[in-house]
Amino acid sequence: MFFLSLFLPPFFPDRRRAPDLTPIFINRQHPHTTTQEYEPKMLEDIKTLILDMADADDLKTAVDATLKAGVDPLALIDLLTQTLEEVGHKYERGEFFLSELIMAGYLANEVATLVKPHLGQTTRTTRGTVAIGTVHGDIHDIGKNIVIMMLEASGYEVRDLGVDVSNDRFVAAVKDGKPDVLGISALLTSTMQHVKGVLDALETSGLRHTVKVIVGGRPITPAFAEEIGADGYAEDSVKALHVINTLVTQRRHQP
Amino acid sequence: MKKRERVLTTLALEEPDRVPLTEIDIDLPLMEAITGQDFPVATSLQTQVVADPALERRRIDLKIDCYTHVDFDVLTVDLSAPAYWTPTINPDGTMIDLWGRVLRLDKASMAWVPYTTIFTAPEDFERFDFPDPHAAGWTFSVEHAKHVIGDDMALATFIRDPFAHAWEMFTPTNFVIWMYQRPAFISRVMDQLTAFNVEIIKRLAEVGVDLIISGGDYSEEKGPMVPITFFKKVIFPCLKKQVAAANRSGIKFIKHSDGNILPLLPDLADIVDGLHSLDPSAGVDIGAVKANYGDKLILMGNVSVDNLAKNSKAAVVEETKQCIRVASPGGGHILTSSNSWAAGAKLENCLAMVHTTKKYGVYPIRL
Repeated sequence: MFFLSLFLPPFFPDRRRAPDLTPIFINRQHPHTTTQEYEPKMLEDIKTLILDMADADDLKTAVDATLKAGVDPLALIDLLTQTLEEVGHKYERGEFFLSELIMAGYLANEVATLVKPHLGQTTRTTRGTVAIGTVHGDIHDIGKNIVIMMLEASGYEVRDLGVDVSNDRFVAAVKDGKPDVLGISALLTSTMQHVKGVLDALETSGLRHTVKVIVGGRPITPAFAEEIGADGYAEDSVKALHVINTLVTQRRHQP
Repeated sequence: MKKRERVLTTLALEEPDRVPLTEIDIDLPLMEAITGQDFPVATSLQTQVVADPALERRRIDLKIDCYTHVDFDVLTVDLSAPAYWTPTINPDGTMIDLWGRVLRLDKASMAWVPYTTIFTAPEDFERFDFPDPHAAGWTFSVEHAKHVIGDDMALATFIRDPFAHAWEMFTPTNFVIWMYQRPAFISRVMDQLTAFNVEIIKRLAEVGVDLIISGGDYSEEKGPMVPITFFKKVIFPCLKKQVAAANRSGIKFIKHSDGNILPLLPDLADIVDGLHSLDPSAGVDIGAVKANYGDKLILMGNVSVDNLAKNSKAAVVEETKQCIRVASPGGGHILTSSNSWAAGAKLENCLAMVHTTKKYGVYPIRL
């Protein structure tokens, strides 16, 4: 019953305790109990562990147990998407701090890593592909990295192009990787004009119509995004995930 | 009034002859444009990157020349590297600093910016050669600045807040993971960084600085970066120790933070002597802060850095006047931008901020 000894960090004594995962053990001890019966509770418990910033090892144990119990790995991926959406809402409402957004993204990523090898036999292995980078002349990447963590945990395949990415490298990433979405980030007012340079380079190379483009970063505004012809804009990682979901859906429905 | 007297009067929360002016930093390209001088290597306000004493002296001389040209009242100087240190440059051109941060060169601002870290696990920190605050060299810049400016300008020294320091040393993601999964480790690191700062503050007091500004953000646009419970349990006790060390030597202690600090204000007002930035882009209204805490906090701010880059000169003039109108009456206000004069800022806007303050910041304020 070591699950019951799950502790929460002492910084947060007011948080509710981690979930009681006893049903998983009951399932083991009583083989006639079906996985179907306990699947919702198992998934709910994993979600609670993420929302409570649980210990990563305890979370992994719970995920392992859930997979061994025969729960569909895709159900776990869908659960991560729902959980991160809830995390995003909490962050936007001021109920979660940035650290909780990052930690939930990290924990969701850990779960996704565990689940990935089990997705081989399913038809859907990725929700979409995203290439993302910070523009030429700009080496800031905290926001970009959080976006990547959230995307990966949500089932996206992400290619991180890094920072100080030249227009040519953005173009090559689109040409070679054929991502559904290209994310372009700029943190400085002095580099935000380079975002337009990337779009121009995509246009010149004849690739603009092949990819949806989302832009973001501190100085970027919705008006700027519209002016330069981006398909989407996001002010933070939560909105980025939401907008990319929409862009991927749009792209899938394109003739 | 002379500049230093103007500042000291302001730090005492009284009205001087005019609202004092400064910036916590000016990016190198703008300093070069202002002074007409070139500086051969990149710098950083976040960490020590210049090891050569001759270059370090030249860096400080450039800053003094720049602040004198602009006619600022406070010279802000960061710490030098200790004499024993030489930078490690990796084959990819990144630099490892004294604190285990891997820095990349931002060519636009000619500044080294933390990018990643040498710490991949808390255990790496146990093998880390933690900098010695008693080593020779840390106060080289401050001593040189004091020697040059004497009692003309006030002298402020920029140190790094332990939370921001650890956040950058480990990278935000590692810091957050360890904060939740290894809380005792993070607390210990913060205590160690605080002890370092306290020893440095004692040395700064011997040099005769007037003001300490603690750099590093507590908040982002939406609010504090970590839960307020973490602030109360870990960050604020560290902050209190540093403020006490400064105040024991008669030095005022200002906390800088970008972002929305409003949820932290009640606690901060009881701990620090003043606040810098008061970030308008994150919804911080300097007038409201003045109304609620003006009797106990020195305010440094808050002409928007975004507007210095994007808006017209006329708009910056109006914004500066508004800032003076709501924050300067009664004293205790040093006019600055909401961060620093960044490379993307228009120089004419920056100078308009200065000229407007000199014209309309004369006490009693009549705006």
